[in-house]
This record gives sequence, structure tokens and C-alpha cells, in this order.
Amino acid sequence: MRIITGLVTVGMLSLGLPLQAADSGFNLETVNPEADRLALQAFYKKRYPDVKIEDYVNGIYALDAESHEQWQEIEEFPPYEFSIEEGEVLFNAPFANGKTYADCFENGGIGIRQNFPYWDKEDGTVKTLEYAINECREDNGDKPLKWGKGDIARISAYMAWTSRDNVFEIQIPQDDSRALQAYLDGKKFFYTKRGQLNLSCANCHLQGSNIRIRADLPGPMLGQVTHWPVFRSKWGNLGTLHRRYAGCHRDSRSKPLKPQAEGFRNLEYFQTYMSNGLVVNGPGARK
Amino acid sequence: MKKVMILCAAVLFSQAVAAETYQDAFNKARAMYGKGHEFQWQGKTYQTLHEEEIEADVDATEANAKALLEKAVAANKKVADVGFEWKLTGGLLKQSAQAIDAGDYRKALDLAAQAKYHARIGFAQYGYAQANWIKAVPQ
Repeated sequence: MRIITGLVTVGMLSLGLPLQAADSGFNLETVNPEADRLALQAFYKKRYPDVKIEDYVNGIYALDAESHEQWQEIEEFPPYEFSIEEGEVLFNAPFANGKTYADCFENGGIGIRQNFPYWDKEDGTVKTLEYAINECREDNGDKPLKWGKGDIARISAYMAWTSRDNVFEIQIPQDDSRALQAYLDGKKFFYTKRGQLNLSCANCHLQGSNIRIRADLPGPMLGQVTHWPVFRSKWGNLGTLHRRYAGCHRDSRSKPLKPQAEGFRNLEYFQTYMSNGLVVNGPGARK
Repeated sequence: MKKVMILCAAVLFSQAVAAETYQDAFNKARAMYGKGHEFQWQGKTYQTLHEEEIEADVDATEANAKALLEKAVAANKKVADVGFEWKLTGGLLKQSAQAIDAGDYRKALDLAAQAKYHARIGFAQYGYAQANWIKAVPQ
């Protein structure tokens, strides 16, 4: 009798669990980025106990042995290699006023990828690396580059390359609640279903990570942003993270935001915070 | 023991009854029989027609086509304003306008109805998301 009563009690409690979970991290008062990050790591530790957290920077190649083998072959002659060299040339080319990108960034723009995106208190917005690159151009009287591919991806690739193995350390300033709100907005965006196929980012890249969608295996959310920009075989060239964001939304039949729209920058802020403690390994190569 | 069994049965039965909303009954009948089928819900008879299909079931005139297109454009603006516009809706609206220009008012009505349906469901999706997104977050 006691056993049955106990089982019933557990069953009734389990019905209430989703509601209980909804009390945590739902609004500005309760959201706790560090708790979110640890919970995400715990999720993956439980799901893939043999995969080391630090290996998630390799995305799906950390989870699927066959894909990992193919990727290693690609990495023998990395398709992004020339882009890094071109990016270096672009990075060092002076603007009309004689200044260069190095004048816009801390440490001359070398080895700083792990600090992006960051919360800019003065402008009250999240700034990604690509956003800062174009801001630098405009501050020096040059026209902004297109966001998705081409020179902006090359410059970003070079800057990521100089930062390889640096540890991501995204900050959410305590003294400006707008930063936490931006993080929360990004979190909400990630978990919200959109589009005709009624899919959230999480459906494919959290619950669905390493579960086949036709011939593709979606990569895990943890470490998903560490290797950008990426040379995608499907694209045949190098592209930015926001180009991929837009593509994902189109795939789920949702009308995507424009690259570097506030919603996508907040999403990147959230996702990168989730990868704090992992290393920069961009640029990368993906299918 | 009996009391426990009764408690379990009561919980399960109450959930089963509560689950049968009009929308659930509609969705089930629509999925099983397609559009235009009759189904019963709480003693009354209904048809498996979306509201947009009823709106499009009018004389194929320029005025009717323009009126439905206008409604669809407004519905899509509403869903776009909250960031939940679907990918194909804009194209459907465009094609509907083109069909009006070409004098094919039946086609225009059908396309506008599709677009309005997309927008309506997209807005419902937005409403659902506000209350439920947190459920997917690992704790």
C-alpha cells in the first residue's frame, strides 16, 4: 500500500515538473546565466557521458565518429586557409585616412575573438565581432561590408585565427540590467518555436543534436559558436554566423531577421555565453 | 488500495475529458477527413473548414478578392510586428495581388486565404511561445 501511494505521489509530482521548471530563468528577476550554462553542460554530460565538454567546440564532429573522420580529412587541407591569408591582408590595409582595423580594437585586434560579442553600455546594445568591424569602417569613413560573406567573413576569420585556443569569457555586466535583458532575449529566442515547421533552435540543436534530419546530423548547441566564421561545403565559401542563423530560419520556413539585427545579436550573446570556458577554434569547416 | 485506484482513474479521466477542446476535435476531424467534413462536438455539428476557407468561398469578383487580400496583408503585418512571420506568406500575398491584376479572382481569393491562414497560425504560435518557451530549457 505504501509503495503504491509512493508511486502515485511521484507520478503526481512528475506532472508538476514542467511547471516547476518554468519558474526558473523565465524573467529578469530569476534569470541566471551561470546556472543556465552549467545546466546546459549537465544536459550534455548526461546525454553523452563519454564526450568531454571541451570537445564540443568541434560541434557534431565531437559526437559522431563517422562525421569526425570525414572532417579530419577535410582539415588536412583546410578550405578556409586562403581566406585567413586574404583576411590578414584586408585587416592590415589602411583606410583612406591612414588608420587600420588595428586602431579600432583592443590589443590591435589580435587575439581578442573570445571577448565577442560584448555588451556596449554606451550604445546600449550587443556588439558582435562583425558588427564592430563594420563600425570601425564607418568610423574611419569607409562603407560597411555586406554581413553574410566575402570580406567581412575573411577579416573575421583572420581575427578568429589569431585568437585560437583563447578561452571564451563573455561578460554580462551586473551594473546594467539591459545586458541581462539582452541575454534573456537571446535565450528566449533560442527556445522559441517559429515558422511553418514549428521549430525552435533548441529543437534541432538541443533535443535534436546528433539526431538525423534526413541526411544531416544537427550539431550540439554547446560550442556551436566557437568555430565561426565557417567554410561550409554547401556554400562553397566562407560565411558568418548570422548568415547561418538566417539559413536555419529559412529552413524552418520562418522569415529570418536580417544579419546583425538586434534579435540575432542577442541570440549570439546568449549562445556564446553558453560556450564560456571553451576555446576559440575558428574559422572552421563544416558540411 | 481501492481509494488509490479510484484516485488514479479520476486523475486520468479528468485529463482525458479536459483534453477534448473544440480545437482538438476540429484538428482531429480535419486531419482524418480533410476539409468540408462534418463532425460533432458537444452535441453540435460543425464543418472542418478553416475560417479563411469560408472567407474565400464567395463570388470570385475583383472586390471580394481585394477585400480578402487586404485582410491577409493586415494579418501578416500583425504577425510580422511580433517577429513570427512565416517564410512563404509574403510570396503568397504577392501572387494573390498578381492574380488580381491578371483578372483571375478565384486564384487570388485562394492565395489570399492561404496567406491569411499562415498569418493567423503564426500569431497563435507567437501566443503559445510566450507561455511555453521555458519548458524546453534544461534545468
